[in-house]
Amino acid sequence: MFESVKSVEERLGDLRYICDENIATVVFLAQRLEKPVLIEGPAGVGKTELAKVVAEATTRQLIRLQCYEGLDEAKALYEWEYSKQLLYTQILKERFTEVMGGAKTIREAAELVGKEDSVFFSENFIVARPLLNAITSEVPTVLLIDEVDKGDPEFEAFLLEVLSDFQVTVPELGTIAAKQKPMVFLTSNNTREMSDALKRRCLHLYIDYPSEELEYRILTAKVPEAETSLVEDLVAMMQRIRALDLKKTPSISETLDWARALLALNATELEADVVKQTLNVILKYEGDVRKAQGELDKLLAKKGGEARAAAPAAEPPSAGTVKKGALH
Amino acid sequence: MQKRILEFTNILRKSGIRVSTSETIDAFSALDLLSLDDREIFRDALCTTLVKRGEEVPTFRELFDLFWSGFYDSLRDSFNQAAGGLPEGMDLEELLKQIAEMLQNMEGEIGDLSELARAMLTGDLSALEQMIREAAEQAGIERIENFLQVGFFSRRTLEGLGAEGAGEELRDLMQQLQDAGMSPEQIEALRGLIDGLMEAVRKSVRNFTERELQKQNHDYMEKFRRETLLEKSFYHLTEEEVKKMREVVERLAQKIKNILTIRRKRMKRGKLDLHQTLRRNMSHGGIPFELVWKHRKKDRPKLVILCDVSSSVANVSRFMLQFCYTLQEAFTKIRAFIFVAELGEVTHLFQDGDINVSIEQALEGGDVINVYTRSNFGYAFNHFWQNFLSAIDNKTTVIVLGDARNNYNDPKAWCLRDIQTKAKNVVWLNPESPSAWGFGDSVMDKYAPYTDVAEECRNLRQLSSMIDRLVVL
Repeated sequence: MFESVKSVEERLGDLRYICDENIATVVFLAQRLEKPVLIEGPAGVGKTELAKVVAEATTRQLIRLQCYEGLDEAKALYEWEYSKQLLYTQILKERFTEVMGGAKTIREAAELVGKEDSVFFSENFIVARPLLNAITSEVPTVLLIDEVDKGDPEFEAFLLEVLSDFQVTVPELGTIAAKQKPMVFLTSNNTREMSDALKRRCLHLYIDYPSEELEYRILTAKVPEAETSLVEDLVAMMQRIRALDLKKTPSISETLDWARALLALNATELEADVVKQTLNVILKYEGDVRKAQGELDKLLAKKGGEARAAAPAAEPPSAGTVKKGALH
Repeated sequence: MQKRILEFTNILRKSGIRVSTSETIDAFSALDLLSLDDREIFRDALCTTLVKRGEEVPTFRELFDLFWSGFYDSLRDSFNQAAGGLPEGMDLEELLKQIAEMLQNMEGEIGDLSELARAMLTGDLSALEQMIREAAEQAGIERIENFLQVGFFSRRTLEGLGAEGAGEELRDLMQQLQDAGMSPEQIEALRGLIDGLMEAVRKSVRNFTERELQKQNHDYMEKFRRETLLEKSFYHLTEEEVKKMREVVERLAQKIKNILTIRRKRMKRGKLDLHQTLRRNMSHGGIPFELVWKHRKKDRPKLVILCDVSSSVANVSRFMLQFCYTLQEAFTKIRAFIFVAELGEVTHLFQDGDINVSIEQALEGGDVINVYTRSNFGYAFNHFWQNFLSAIDNKTTVIVLGDARNNYNDPKAWCLRDIQTKAKNVVWLNPESPSAWGFGDSVMDKYAPYTDVAEECRNLRQLSSMIDRLVVL
């Protein structure tokens, strides 16, 4: 449990997730009001990571549901295990004859079978999917519904019950209410607008590209072995690159990749050659790379730290301290 | 506080941000949990509970600054400025203390001054803010509509506030103090201070009025801007708007795509396929472990688009092309033709490269036709009939975009008749309203009988509803 907004900021900071007050406020409120959070923003600003880190900070179990086109109830919520049911009927064939042995008419037989009906629609034959898992879990959980905008609009509809009441209705079994209310995070890249009904049930958090100051702090926390001067130049450069009209604007995860790439190349300063070689780390389209290369002189010329004395060579990055593949 | 928040949600609603009652309740319960001292946290809490769209956040921030304490800040600034005008070595507090002492000797008190004068002198800004707010309300500030009224409402607010009276009082006070033997330097400083304070009050009132105007108008402008993009006639788009429109079109296309996937999925899963199921489950002794469903098939339409690219219709053509190519997967094949008088095929332009670039190329004639001539629909249709009639079969929907203003040329409507006979559907979208069809040089009335659908398509809303029908036609 977080006690205050400040403590959210600190505890996430301990796990090297540097966030501003806005994010911290929303996380704090989400936990107190027991409401899901809908996180929107461009790719790579740390939307998914936030959910992961909150799970870690609160020692909750993370349950993740990745959305995609065609995701349906059977894969997100629960499914009856048809084959198992059939298998059981086959195995229990003899027993059925026994049960029905006493029946004289078909009607009687049907009633007798009907009494055993519930056996086949019990929790034994249900395959729980992430949403049901999060609801029935004995331990507290964080439910991450990733890229909810990729799912179909109809998928949103059955999310509603889960999000507002933390319960799932299975027609054959009745309503299953949450034993432990999960903390729910939904992320969206905004490829389509979510329905108002869904939005109303959620707190809304928009994470934008980080400010210069925040990006600096993130970079020093995540890549501590980088030189201060390099980090400063890098951050300033990134801010300028974002001002260009690009097809895919690089975000914080690209900045981190770039910093690590530069360290691997033993670069201590942003020089034209090094930048040119490594631009493809941050820019993912050929057109963007070409555009940035064209503007390279301008981007570098504005750099403040030319006069700075050459810094001593940075140590090569030790793989242990850098969390591999972990984005901000 | 509650009342202020309700007022604020009302302002949000007015500017087109949808805020439901349950969201307002969320905001209240969120504020219960937080300390209200921190303005940032207060703002974030309201933002996260009330605003649910990323693109509405900037609007929210602007309104928040206008509504909450932004005025207090500016009030503080202008009063600090007035107090900072004191000569060096003299402190406002000390001066006030001395005044109070002297008044006591004269058997008077600061308390004898009017409320406003006292608040001004002691710098009680929250009382001052409250007074200005009330006076402005009395003056009917919520009726302010345009910038010309700022002066009028400021004056009325100042009158209601009794600002001149307070100024008199303070000057009297200064006189009394002078008579009581205050030093000339101090009197001089006091005179400067009073002038400064009066100026600060005047400025603040004007500032308040201007803010109020912005607040009332903000809503209105924003809403206006947003609504019009959907409703605005294609004829009057500025270049800036064309750019914005592109995004809107993409959004709409995405929306239609979503609807399509659902429709198609429903269509896909048909009845249980008994044949296949039995066959597939032979190995299980005929017990149906695996179920096989029949697939229903529905042919996706083929499209042939004929776009008039003369300047009068260029925008409709632009967005139609963008729509169709964004929705490519909804159709089996799209062929695009452009014409003014001559007609040419531009399908190849769209085969590679960015949609928007291709569209601009096509609208400029795409090296296949000369766009700097006068429209001649008859000639263009005849050309199509001669060369491309084979492109049309009974699964093809033909879309014609044009205003049918034929410059008094021969309409050759029989070409369109032949096209209709071969095609599944002929749809004509005309940016002019039906009442103008057939008047002047419009030959729409000649063409209309040979179309299955002929409709006005003047703005984005009409265009998108048309597209939606197209995919099921």
